[in-house]
Amino acid sequence: MLRCFSLIALGAIALTVPAQAQDLLVKASRIVLAPGTELAPGQLLIRAGKVQYVGDEIPTEARQNARVIDYGKAVITPGFVLAQATLGQDADLAEAAFAFTPDLLAAEAFDPWHEDLDSLAPQGITSFALSPSQRNVAGGIAALAKPGTTKAGDHMGRIAERELHLHLSLNRAARNQQRAPTSLIGALDMLRTVFTAAKSGVQGGPDIAILAQVLDGSRRVFAHADTYTELSGLLDLARDFNFEPVIVGGGDAEKVMPRITEQKAGIVLSTLRPEMRLAQLRLPGKLAAAGVPFAFGGDPKQLRMSAVLAVRHGLDKNAALAAMTRAPAEMLGQETNVGALRTGCAADFNVWSGHPLDLHSSHLASWVDGQLLAGNEPKEDR
Amino acid sequence: MRRIPWHLPVLLPLLTLAAPVRAQEPEKSEKPTPKAESPAAERGPGRGNRGNRAGARRRGGARRNRQPVTAITAKFVHPVSGPVIENGVVLVRGERILAVGKQGEVRIPESATTRDFPNGHVYPGLIDAETDAFTDPATQRGGLDAGMALADDLQLRHNRDDSLAAAGITVAYVSAPAGQGAIVRPRREGFEVWEGKEKAGLQLRMTSGPRPTHALQRQQQLDGLKKTFDGLDKYEKAKKDYNKALDKYEKDFAEYLAWHEKNKGKKKAGDGKPADKTESAAPAGRPAGRGPRGRRPVPPGDGKNAEPLTAEEQQTELAFETLLEILAEQNAQDPKPAPPGPKGVAQKPSGKADGKDKKKDGPPKRPSYPKPFKEDPKKETLLAVLEGEMPLRVEAHRPDELRAALHMQRKNDVPLLVLEQAYGAGTVAKELAETGATVVLTEVLPNSMPELYDAFDPCTVPQALHAAGVPFAIATGKARSAPLLPLMAATAVGKGLDAKAALRAITLTPAEILGIQKDTGSLARGKFADLIVCDRPLFDSDSRVLFVLGKGRTEFEGN
Repeated sequence: MLRCFSLIALGAIALTVPAQAQDLLVKASRIVLAPGTELAPGQLLIRAGKVQYVGDEIPTEARQNARVIDYGKAVITPGFVLAQATLGQDADLAEAAFAFTPDLLAAEAFDPWHEDLDSLAPQGITSFALSPSQRNVAGGIAALAKPGTTKAGDHMGRIAERELHLHLSLNRAARNQQRAPTSLIGALDMLRTVFTAAKSGVQGGPDIAILAQVLDGSRRVFAHADTYTELSGLLDLARDFNFEPVIVGGGDAEKVMPRITEQKAGIVLSTLRPEMRLAQLRLPGKLAAAGVPFAFGGDPKQLRMSAVLAVRHGLDKNAALAAMTRAPAEMLGQETNVGALRTGCAADFNVWSGHPLDLHSSHLASWVDGQLLAGNEPKEDR
Repeated sequence: MRRIPWHLPVLLPLLTLAAPVRAQEPEKSEKPTPKAESPAAERGPGRGNRGNRAGARRRGGARRNRQPVTAITAKFVHPVSGPVIENGVVLVRGERILAVGKQGEVRIPESATTRDFPNGHVYPGLIDAETDAFTDPATQRGGLDAGMALADDLQLRHNRDDSLAAAGITVAYVSAPAGQGAIVRPRREGFEVWEGKEKAGLQLRMTSGPRPTHALQRQQQLDGLKKTFDGLDKYEKAKKDYNKALDKYEKDFAEYLAWHEKNKGKKKAGDGKPADKTESAAPAGRPAGRGPRGRRPVPPGDGKNAEPLTAEEQQTELAFETLLEILAEQNAQDPKPAPPGPKGVAQKPSGKADGKDKKKDGPPKRPSYPKPFKEDPKKETLLAVLEGEMPLRVEAHRPDELRAALHMQRKNDVPLLVLEQAYGAGTVAKELAETGATVVLTEVLPNSMPELYDAFDPCTVPQALHAAGVPFAIATGKARSAPLLPLMAATAVGKGLDAKAALRAITLTPAEILGIQKDTGSLARGKFADLIVCDRPLFDSDSRVLFVLGKGRTEFEGN
């Protein structure tokens, strides 16, 4: 009777094993958990789309029951995080009639079937901040989105975090002769007026509520600014209302470097191109030397190339990798979810044949939430 | 009986002298030709040791000794034409490489200056097979025609576009959409044109670029371009006819002069008139009427700047001379003065018998100068291309454009065809291999294509060409992209190309395409000392150029 019971118990346990088989044990000769933290050789146990265990922490039982994905000599890095993108949906991410719409949610304009989402994983981008357009002074609230697939295997993105930072813009695109503001001083005045109202505690609508969150530090501000005057105006505003902005663009950042450092501003850089001025190509290296947090942004297809160009012009490889993973995740306030492969983070990772910032390395695969989105699994799995 | 090669007596002593060093040479297939050797440094001891040239030998020997030897030692030496040498050394004497090998196996002279790079990687100087460096931006709009040489208008831009040498590029082919490209040596403070390669290729653009075009529209455009070589037959025939006529003129004029020379004494005796002016007009050692180079004839006359006689003037002169001859003969036979002819015009002899007598005894008719032939520099260049003196470099992007270029090559028997910016070459790789065309690829970087060229991936083309056996070079196309040349090759490696083939594509293969492989492109004894030293493997993104040597001269030295 006891033996019979034991057999039934064993059978019951066996039935539970298929649930455990959903776990993935990902192996590679080198796994970069976060820039500067590596396992060689490395192992990750992925459960329900998240990193459950890392390296020696993996329990023997879980290790035995997991499906093994062994990438051999490859290198695994966290998936790239794009700190600012509109992904071809720019027209739907700006209210043309009004320049000041801080309470609009970019997530509401998100098209999960948009074709531009398909191109992200092959570039190694596993999450991105869907941002309001730069055509409005206060465009709205950005969202964290990710490429993904349906159960049928079709590409379909999803919103991972509905509300992130407030998105402002002081650059030329935000000035419009058809509606106010038409100038930089007009844009700064507009912002100063509403920030003053929010600071004074005047009861207002949702606009003022969003700005109040900025003032109390519960919501970050990303702001497009490229030229010296735009950057100076933004930094003045940040100083006067005591917030730490993240500058998007920052072409002339070198000219205001001391102030950027002093005010603890971050920078999301535009796409770097070979034909750019040397000062622009060397800017990432100088930002790293000055301790300014920065991330690569701009054209998703050029994200890796931007980092390579920065490395070519003096930036350290680890710092460049951080500027595509950990740094943007921290700027977005999502460092516990994306940008690293620590326990509890989403299983978003890329597989490379070598260092991701060496162009002779091939991109082998991209996984998002534990699902293979681009590339192939290795042949030797069990 | 087999003949002994003429150069054997020269080479044997050379080989004997160099034996201890040559034993470690990684490459034996690329011996320098005697022509490529530096005349002073590489002259064999046998030469100059002949009789009264002993002094010359001493001078030659002293010159050789004075040339400093530099030893460049590094962790790795990548000769390209041979395996990688760990703990290698490159010996440089003057402007040439003296030896390449392993440290300890290559004897470094005590007097040599040693440059040590303990963790460095030595590569041949990079060769950019297509760049717009040193060109006037205006020429990049296609304002030149085939007859115009870009080398005549090279200049510095005085910005970072000039700093090819700092990027490790020691040789570059500069080009524009049209005209004749040139091979240059980028230098620390400028550039120098490679001697003899001022006209190194004829550029032709067979593409409308990344614009929305219909295939039929492109076809019409390409059909037009295919006619580039049309009409050359007529031109060549006219040129040959002219040359023949010129030869005949020379011969006839020589006979004409000879007759006058023969009858000079008779004439002087007859009427005391001076000899024909034209006799003294012809310079010694060169037939009258032939120019100093034989190709651009100078019409007969009193001096260099004499105007050519028109046909009418020539006839008048001839008639006058004939009249004088007739008068002289009549005076000799009949002392009575003959009545002058009507208005002084010579009377043509009538009757067959008179004609025969004239041919036999009379002066030959002064030949008339052939109608001048107008040389067309554009067509001359096209002829040079057809004769294989320079390659035809066709910019073609799409497969149909590439096929049109191949068709043109076949139709006109173009010996050397280089296809530039051949983004669609992957699909026509087999055809390329069959025709023997070579390819210069640009934009080999991730996602470098404009939207309308999304269908092309230049990063995968090198592997496709390599697999098909098509020689190809990877080039920047733009001076500003010079620091990215190794990264372009690295990108091709990331897309499956063998790393050795990628390194070759920016060193030895472009040298072959440019026809300078005997002098540069790899680290081998006798070649120019074109080399770079990097702190890391060249294809790593963070690899830095530490040292650049171009033709033995330090062109860049990093911190």
